[in-house]
Amino acid sequence: MTRGSSVSTTIAVDGEDVPIRRSLAAAIEDAWRRLARPGTWWSGSERLAIAAETRAAGQCRLCRERQAALSPYAVSGVHDAATDLPADAVEAIHRIRTDAGRITERFVREIADGPLGEERYVEIVAVVAITTALDTFDGVLGRPRRPLPAPQAGEPTRHRPAGARRDLAWVATLAPDMVSAGDPNPYPLHGDKNIHRAVSLVPQEVFNFFDLDVELYLKDHEIRDFGTEYRAITHAQIELIAGRASALNRCFY
Amino acid sequence: MPAGLELTTLVEAALGDDAAALEDARRVVRHAVGGAGLVDAAAAIASFNAVVKIADGTGIPIEDWKAERTSDLRASLGIDDYRA
Repeated sequence: MTRGSSVSTTIAVDGEDVPIRRSLAAAIEDAWRRLARPGTWWSGSERLAIAAETRAAGQCRLCRERQAALSPYAVSGVHDAATDLPADAVEAIHRIRTDAGRITERFVREIADGPLGEERYVEIVAVVAITTALDTFDGVLGRPRRPLPAPQAGEPTRHRPAGARRDLAWVATLAPDMVSAGDPNPYPLHGDKNIHRAVSLVPQEVFNFFDLDVELYLKDHEIRDFGTEYRAITHAQIELIAGRASALNRCFY
Repeated sequence: MPAGLELTTLVEAALGDDAAALEDARRVVRHAVGGAGLVDAAAAIASFNAVVKIADGTGIPIEDWKAERTSDLRASLGIDDYRA
């Protein structure tokens, strides 16, 4: 058994400085910066509004009532929204944040095929996931929730990969062999398993999520490299955490 | 597994809403696996509290090879009787 190298800095936890891998600390800072930048379909200020709405979902009365109900469709009402995002965006954000395990294909199709559009919906999925990861990390360590950064000016690129098809998931995805010259291509860096394809309709979001996630969890090639421990806890301990968190979240993947 | 109970308790506290329980679980895990271990445990929890949003928000399916490898286990648990 070998141990992967990990140069560390420190992070304040419960009033003391504890070691954190430099690469993890850098990925977290980069993820916060990227949230504030113009995305592919949403501006920087809109992406931060999605992040703010993600946070607000945790205190939403309608979401709490729906979570407690046998079916989320048994409870109607209005979300406690924190932003002026469109109602279908708020609905998507709150459901993804608070009740992702009971999202259905019909729910996704109705939103993605409606005024919001599939591309904006997919970028929402990524921004909600990234915000959730960043806030969860701080929350587990008892650190205060960060103020959202200031938005950066600029226009979304609005680039839809020409090769994207709705043939794998409930939304269109970009197969590795359909990547065109003008498309950001995350697959050589992060791998091309289904989970990497999930938000590939907006390829930059594959980078945005997995550039962070590989530091939170493991790089694709490290996951089954049981001869080397890359973290301060073992593969087995990491997978135990993964299994319990996924079960509590009722993750179907 | 070393610190298995401590780590699963941390996950449950992290995804719950009892701040005192989380603080206690954090202290226990830090004692069990050290400060760097606690940070990596928090990172893993963050990852798996987030990736579920990616998977369930898009309906991405599990790969065929993964499904085949776990078919016996899923059958014995009755998981295949459920549907999304």
